[in-house]
Amino acid sequence: MNLLQLFKFELRSIFTDPAILLTVFGGVLFYSFLYPLPYAQQLPREQSVVVVDLDNSNLSRELVRMVDATPQIQVNRFANSINQAGQFITEDGLAGMLVIPKNFYRDLLLGKSPTLSYAGDASYFLVYSTIVEGMSSAGGTLAAGIRISRLLIEGQAMVLAEEQYTPLKVNLRPVFNTTTGYVHYVVPAVFVLILHQTCLIALALLGAGQTEKNQAGVSGYWLNADAWQLVITRGFIFILIYLVLMMFYFGFSFNFYDISRLAAPQDLIVLAIPFILATTFLGIIIGQLIPRRELAMMLVLFSSLPLLFMAGFVWPSSMLPMPVYYLAQLFPSTAAIQGFLRLNQMGAEIYQIQTLIEQLWVQTIVFGFISYYLLVRRKHIQSTAK
Amino acid sequence: MNTAPNILKGREWHFLKKDYWLMSLVTWVPICLFILLWYIFSAGLPRDLSIAVVDLDHSQMSRSLIRHYDANPMLRVERQFASIDEGQTALKAADVNALIILPSQLEADTRIGRPPQVTVFYNAQFLLTGKLTASALLQSQGTFNAKISAMKAYSQGKVGIHALGAAVPVNSQITALFNISSNYAQFLVTAIIPAMWQILIVVVTLLALSRELRLQGLTSWLGNNPARAILAKLWPYTLILWLHGLLFLLGMYVVLGWQMNGSWFIILLTQLLMVIASQGMAILLFVLVKDAVRVLSLAAAYTAPSFAFMGVTFPATDMALPARIWRELLPVSHYIEVQIAQASHGATATSSFPQMFNLLLFCVAFLPAFLIAKRLVNKSNKPLKVQI
Repeated sequence: MNLLQLFKFELRSIFTDPAILLTVFGGVLFYSFLYPLPYAQQLPREQSVVVVDLDNSNLSRELVRMVDATPQIQVNRFANSINQAGQFITEDGLAGMLVIPKNFYRDLLLGKSPTLSYAGDASYFLVYSTIVEGMSSAGGTLAAGIRISRLLIEGQAMVLAEEQYTPLKVNLRPVFNTTTGYVHYVVPAVFVLILHQTCLIALALLGAGQTEKNQAGVSGYWLNADAWQLVITRGFIFILIYLVLMMFYFGFSFNFYDISRLAAPQDLIVLAIPFILATTFLGIIIGQLIPRRELAMMLVLFSSLPLLFMAGFVWPSSMLPMPVYYLAQLFPSTAAIQGFLRLNQMGAEIYQIQTLIEQLWVQTIVFGFISYYLLVRRKHIQSTAK
Repeated sequence: MNTAPNILKGREWHFLKKDYWLMSLVTWVPICLFILLWYIFSAGLPRDLSIAVVDLDHSQMSRSLIRHYDANPMLRVERQFASIDEGQTALKAADVNALIILPSQLEADTRIGRPPQVTVFYNAQFLLTGKLTASALLQSQGTFNAKISAMKAYSQGKVGIHALGAAVPVNSQITALFNISSNYAQFLVTAIIPAMWQILIVVVTLLALSRELRLQGLTSWLGNNPARAILAKLWPYTLILWLHGLLFLLGMYVVLGWQMNGSWFIILLTQLLMVIASQGMAILLFVLVKDAVRVLSLAAAYTAPSFAFMGVTFPATDMALPARIWRELLPVSHYIEVQIAQASHGATATSSFPQMFNLLLFCVAFLPAFLIAKRLVNKSNKPLKVQI
């Protein structure tokens, strides 16, 4: 059998298998709309908080108005005591509280520094950080206003006072995801993982399907073909399929969700090819190790959440325990997520991700050899069985 | 088939012993997965987040500011660059989480009371790390500024509390409710594990059913009384899967000693409902699809993205309507509300009833599943009678 015949046979078994088509094309399309769905609004806004105003002065009321005016926070109601406020949080699901202490205004005038207490429900981390952000910005504005008025009292001119309220100013600028939106944060990384997982499932289905047929006594082209040719043909076909799917994700979908695309297409391809090859060969390995097709889904489903959190974009890689860090490096998704984010979202040059590309090529070679070995072994088992 | 439950249990056990994969899924796999998910986040709170500084001033003050950043346990000054360009290159390669630019004349401007501007670029593509870095930097800058203001106030002759008052007119105290140390592991792991558990429930149920499909065919397994066959098949797994739920609760709230403010009874009861609800969805999909591979594909589509919809990372109140609808269709999003309300908020039992009721509604899925199963059996019996 020559390469061209093998190529045709393989294409036919892939494109006549409804489960593979459903996973690869259906899955990729379905997830491209489902996954970003919860984050469509990008940022949490107007979290409901309860205010305990023990001071009840002009200034405290002004502070409450300032807090309410921030985009992050909405003052939902007032409570008479911290206990009551706590009850509102546990029973009515309010997200946080602001406590203005007694004599807040008087202490300020006396030049003592009174303490404002904020609290947010940290069982929901993003809610918590949103509340802290809103309250600190309102508190900071209030503090700046007080410093300015003090400087004025001390005889500074207004212009100078507005300048000098703080010794050093800080300008915090988020880069790469300038709106700090959640879609822009999650989608570019998760989409790479979706490509990885669907590719693994497709190959595992293909491999296990052929094993099932063998066990049912059906022989097939895969037993006659040379194992190397089989590995290479599969790699080639999946490069073709997944380059198209990547064009859909990195082109259409990123455009649709307004996600930055800084990389040149040829740079993306330089990274994509070892990624697809390594994933394909890993998929062949899985396909040889499982006895039944449905187990492919099971393995990939169970690996998704760990792979996602080991990839280093939610939780920094430097914080992973060493064994987990090395475990993560075994899977193509880790280096690919890191590489694609750097290239496409952060605008890194290709030489800056050289080590990631090399890592994927090493995986390609190692997984390639293992899959070759397993395919040879299968041929051997089948021929001795006869 | 139509024998007493204890024999059925024996049959299921026999059945499990022969299926190595399914046996693994109900014994060591869940435990390993739960431990792995915890272990990933076991550091708890990020420390030593790397930052780079471009010091264009080279003054005593700029150097002391850099040391001040480095002294923050959350931050580590990893690199110093001579030019902004070099710094930006490092930022683009994600070698550092943030780049700080200290302008020239920093010290001189501060002394003459013309506040210089420190610019911080932080990597918001890694949103969590970026935000933590930014807030740690703000905090460091705040204390540094307070130090300078206090020194100025002292030099102007103010003393003690008034010098402090001049430096920091308003103190703020920030409390992370229900998670005092804002332990990130605790926050994520308590939600990721239930998401994983839901996947486990659905997959184990479907694989156990698939085995019947493979060995004796759907209709002959369902027999004359499909409802009975289904329930007899599922209940041993209900108990095992419930036990997995108990295990991770024990792991989190007893072994790791995370706060448990609510009622164990309510959480455990909700877990039981959660198992039955997820099994209900699984059996409904199964009798509709009647094919092991395809039903697992659907189960993957259904359960894999659950974590995103649970509302723990991104609040459910900020989700658009289609996302909220999909969220309602996932048993785990109702379960997690009870777990959080009980374990962290210490809410009353009655406040968890609505979510428990929602889970109970999922159990209704068994009814159409029974009906469809019955129809399948009837359909396959008919031609047989005609032949006779």
